[in-house]
Amino acid sequence: MTVQAPATPAAPPDTRKLLLDPSFMARLDQLDLMSRKMLAGKLKGERRSKRRGQSVEFADYRNYVIGDDLRFIDWNIFARLDRLFLKLFLEEEDLSLYILLDVSKSCDYGEPHKALYMKQVAAALGYIGLVNYNRVHLTAFANGVVADTGALRGRRRVAQMIDFIANLEPTGASYFADSCRRFALQHRGKGVLVMLSDFFVKEGFEGGLRYVAGGKYDLFAIQALAPQEIDPELQGDLKLRDVEDDDMAEVSITQPLLKQYKANLNAYCLALKDYVTKRGGTYLFTSTAVPFDTLVLNYLRERGLLG
Amino acid sequence: MNWLPTFLNWQAAAIAAGLAIPALLILYFLKLRRQERVVPSTLLWRKAIQDLQVNSPFQKLRRNLLLLLQLIVLLLLLLALSRPVANYKPGPGKTTVILIDRSASMAARDGNDGRTRLEEAQFRARELVRSMSRDSTAMVIAFDSSAETMQGFTSDQQALIAAIDRIRQTDRKTDLRRAYALAEAQVNFDPEQLRANVEPPDVRLYSDGRTLNEQDLRIKAEVTYEPIGSLSAKNIAVVALSAKRNYERPTEVQVFARLANFGPEPVQAPVTLSVDGQMVMGGGSLQSTYLLPERWTEDQRRQHVEKAGKPPSDSVQFKLDLANRAIIRIEQMNKDGDQLAADDVAHVVVPPPKVLAALLVSDGNYFLERVVRSLGLQKPDIIIPQAYEAKVKENKVQEDYGKYDVIIFDNYRPPTDARTGKAILPDSGSFIYFGVVPDGIKTKAARMGAATQPGAPGTPPPANAPPVFLDDMAVMDWDRDHPILANLALNKLYAAQGLKLQVPLDREVLIEGLKGPMMVLDRDGRHTHLIVAFNLMESNWPLKVSFPVFMHQALHFLALGADMALRQSYEPGDAPQVQRSLINVAGGLEALSKLTLEGPGGTREVPVPPGDRFVLPPLEQVGIYKTVPEITGMEQIAVNMLDVNESNLVPAEKPPGDIGKAEPLGGESTRRRELWPFLAAAALAVLFIEWWVYTRRVHL
Repeated sequence: MTVQAPATPAAPPDTRKLLLDPSFMARLDQLDLMSRKMLAGKLKGERRSKRRGQSVEFADYRNYVIGDDLRFIDWNIFARLDRLFLKLFLEEEDLSLYILLDVSKSCDYGEPHKALYMKQVAAALGYIGLVNYNRVHLTAFANGVVADTGALRGRRRVAQMIDFIANLEPTGASYFADSCRRFALQHRGKGVLVMLSDFFVKEGFEGGLRYVAGGKYDLFAIQALAPQEIDPELQGDLKLRDVEDDDMAEVSITQPLLKQYKANLNAYCLALKDYVTKRGGTYLFTSTAVPFDTLVLNYLRERGLLG
Repeated sequence: MNWLPTFLNWQAAAIAAGLAIPALLILYFLKLRRQERVVPSTLLWRKAIQDLQVNSPFQKLRRNLLLLLQLIVLLLLLLALSRPVANYKPGPGKTTVILIDRSASMAARDGNDGRTRLEEAQFRARELVRSMSRDSTAMVIAFDSSAETMQGFTSDQQALIAAIDRIRQTDRKTDLRRAYALAEAQVNFDPEQLRANVEPPDVRLYSDGRTLNEQDLRIKAEVTYEPIGSLSAKNIAVVALSAKRNYERPTEVQVFARLANFGPEPVQAPVTLSVDGQMVMGGGSLQSTYLLPERWTEDQRRQHVEKAGKPPSDSVQFKLDLANRAIIRIEQMNKDGDQLAADDVAHVVVPPPKVLAALLVSDGNYFLERVVRSLGLQKPDIIIPQAYEAKVKENKVQEDYGKYDVIIFDNYRPPTDARTGKAILPDSGSFIYFGVVPDGIKTKAARMGAATQPGAPGTPPPANAPPVFLDDMAVMDWDRDHPILANLALNKLYAAQGLKLQVPLDREVLIEGLKGPMMVLDRDGRHTHLIVAFNLMESNWPLKVSFPVFMHQALHFLALGADMALRQSYEPGDAPQVQRSLINVAGGLEALSKLTLEGPGGTREVPVPPGDRFVLPPLEQVGIYKTVPEITGMEQIAVNMLDVNESNLVPAEKPPGDIGKAEPLGGESTRRRELWPFLAAAALAVLFIEWWVYTRRVHL
C-alpha cells in the first residue's frame, strides 16, 4: 500500500496542539480500540484473529494429517489416547482502523466548527489506534478521496498523522457514494471503520454506505452536526445557498417551516441510524457543542468503540 | 332596467391599468430580494419546503397569494377609477334633446323628498347629463305654452347643468307641440343630423304628460318620456269661471265656477267668494261642493253615489250686486294635501262704471239739460230735433250717433223708416223717450179709432191717427227692486197728461199708473228702449229729488246693459295687446316711454314703444296685474289658470301623443348609482386580508 502524503505543507504547531494536547493524549493512552468482530489483520499484532496461528491462545484440536508441523502435536493427549492431535492456536494479529474523514465544504460550518471537531475526533481515534499498535488508515474524502495516509502503525507515526489531519482543508462537494466506493476498493482489508461526516448527501447516504456497511468493516458512523444545523437561527425571507453546489433555496422562515425542518432532520438521522444498525454498524450522533473529549472518552466508550 | 354597469371613465382606468399592473408585477418580482445565507446543505430545507407544499392544498395558488391579493386590490381600485355606475335607466344617446316641462302643473310638490315636479325633472335631467359620455352632445329646452332653448347643443356638462338649473316655474299651460317643433328645428339645424345614416336624436321628455293638442304632436326623433309625479297627488281646482251681469239686471253679477277633483278620493271643497279681498257677508259667499275624482269612470261614480247617497256637486253660483269696479275672487278652501295652489284661485275683474256718452235730442228742456250736464257724462251732447233729422237725411245716424251709449228723445219721436216701419236709430244702443213711443217696437201708443188693448179685434188704426192721451196720471205702483227705480219714492209723481201705452205681456212695466203703464222697458234686439209715457214738462217729476236719481240710475242701467260681459281674463303667459292711446297719463302721452306693471311676481318696468299698439310682457303668474299709469279697459288684469288639462295632476303613463316610449311611472328617480365606493371598500378589505396574510405567513 502506498502512503499518500498530504500535498500540503506541515501545519503550524498550534493547529496540531489544537487537535491533540498532551494531557488529553495521556488520557487517551489508557484506551484501546475494541471491535465486536474478530477481524483478520495483516501483521502480527495484539489482536486475536480468526485465523489460526501462532499465539498463546488455544483455539481447537484437529486430527493430525501427514505433513503437519510436528511441533504442534499435543503429546499429552497422544500419551492418553494414543492418537495424534494437533493443537491449533488463535493467531494474534494487528487491527486495522480506518478513519474516513469528511472534508467537503459542508463541514466548513458551524460554531463550534464542524470540520475542526471532526478532525479532533479523528486525531484522537488515530492516536489511540497508533498507540495500541493498530494499523491506522486516515482517509479524507470530499468529491472523491482527497487524501490518504496509507497504513500507519506505532507511536512514532503520531506526529505524521497529526500533520496529515491538520493540513486537511475543506474542499469541494461530497461525492459520497463515489468516495465510499473508491475507499472500499482501495482498502480490501478488514477492520474498524470510523466514518466522520455530517452525512448530508443529496443523492442519499445509502448509495455510499452500502460499500462500507456490513461485510468486512466494523462500521462506526459518527454524524457530527453543528448546533446551527440542529436548531437553525434563521429569520426572514432568505435565499439559502448550498455551500457545496451553490444550489439556492428560497425560504421564508416561519415556525411551521422550522418545525418541519427539525422533524425532517430527526427523520433523516433516524433513517441513517436504522440503515447503519441494520447492517451491523454503530451510529453515533453528536453535536459539535458536545466537547470532543467527552465524546471520545465517554460516548465512544459507551458505544464499544473504545475500551 | 339595465343592471350592467357602465364605465364612465374607462379610458383613464385603462391608462392607469396599463401602467399599474406591469408595475405591480415588476415590483413583485423585484420585491423578494432575499438575503443570502450560506448553509451546509439545502437538502433538508428543500425537503421541508416540499413537505409543507405537499401537505397544503392550493399550494400553487398560495405561492402567489400575496401577488394575487395585490392584483385584486389593484383591479378593484382600477375598476373604481373607471367610475362604474349601475344604470337603472338607459343612458343618453349620442345626440340628446332634454325637454323639461315647466308648466303650472309641475309646481305640484309630490316628487321624492318633497321636491316639486319641476325640481324632480331637473334632478333627473342633471343625472342624465352626468351620465353622458364625453363625446355625446345634448341641448336643453324648457317648455310650457311656449318653448325656450335654455342651452344649445354642447357636450359641456357644466353648461347643460347650469341651463337645467336656470329653468323657473311658470303658471302657464302645457303645449308640447311647440317644444317638439323647437327641438326638431334645433336638431335639423345641426348639419350632422342631416346625414343619411345618423341615428335619430334621442329626445328625453320630463313632464307629467298633460299637454294641449295632443293629437297634433309630431316629431322625428326617438322620444323617451319620463313621467314625473305620483298618481296619488291631490288637487282640487277651479277649472271654469264665468261671470256676467244679469241681462235683466245689469248691476247684478252672476258668478259661476266649476271645480274638479283630481285626487284619488272624493272630497268636500268649500268655495269662498270675496270682493276686493273681503268676504262678502251673507248672500251665500261660502258654498260647498262635493267632488268625485275626475279619474273615476262613470260606473265608479254611479256606484259611489248609490253607496254614499250623496250626490256630487261640482259647481257653485254666486250672485251679487256690483255697480262699481271690483275684483271678485273665487277660492276653493280645501287645501288639505292640495299640491297645486295656482288653480285654487280665480279672479274676475268687474270694470268700473262706464263713463257714459249721452245725447239729448230736445227742443229745449231746462231740467233735462241740467240733469244731463250734471251727471258727469263723458259726452253730454244736446241737439235739436232738426239736427237729428238732418243726419237722418244724410244717412249719418249710425256714423255720428252710434258712439253714444244713451240717446234721450225729449218729446220728439225719431223719424220712421218707410221701408221697415221702424224708427231710424243707431244700430245698437239704449234710448229714453219722454212722451213719445218710437215706431217699430212692440210697445205702442194707443191711437184713436183702434182697440185699446193690443191683440184685441178691430181694424188697425191709421198710421197717423192721433194718439190717445190720458189725463191726470198718478202712480199706482212701481217696481221697487228694479235697479232703475231702486230707492226712489215715486208715490207723489203726477202727470197732467200722458200717452196711453199698449204694452205686450213680455215687456216690463216699471211704473204702473192708475190709468195705465207710465214707464216701460222694451228690449228689441240690440236696442233697449225706456219709454216714459208723459212729457216731463207736464209732470211734477223734474221738481222732485227722485228725478235726477232716476236719470242717473237709468243711464247707468242702460249703459251697463250695453256692456254685459265682464272683463276678459287672461291665461298665464298671455301678453295683452295695449293701445297706446288708452293709457291714462296726466302729462302728454308722447312723453311716456315706460309704465310700471305690478303683479303677483313683483313690479317691473315696461318700456312703451312709440307705435300705436304695443304688447305687455307675458303675465306668467296667476293673479291680478295692474299698470301705472292705468290703461283704460285694462285697469286690472286677471290671470287665471282655469285649465282642466293643467290642473289634472294625474301623470300620463303613456307618452303624449303616443310618440316614443314611456318609462314606468314612479321609477327610481336616480338614474344610476356610483359603484366606486363599494369597489374602494372591497379593495380596502382585500388589503386587510393581504396584510393579514403577509404578517401571518400562513403556510409559507
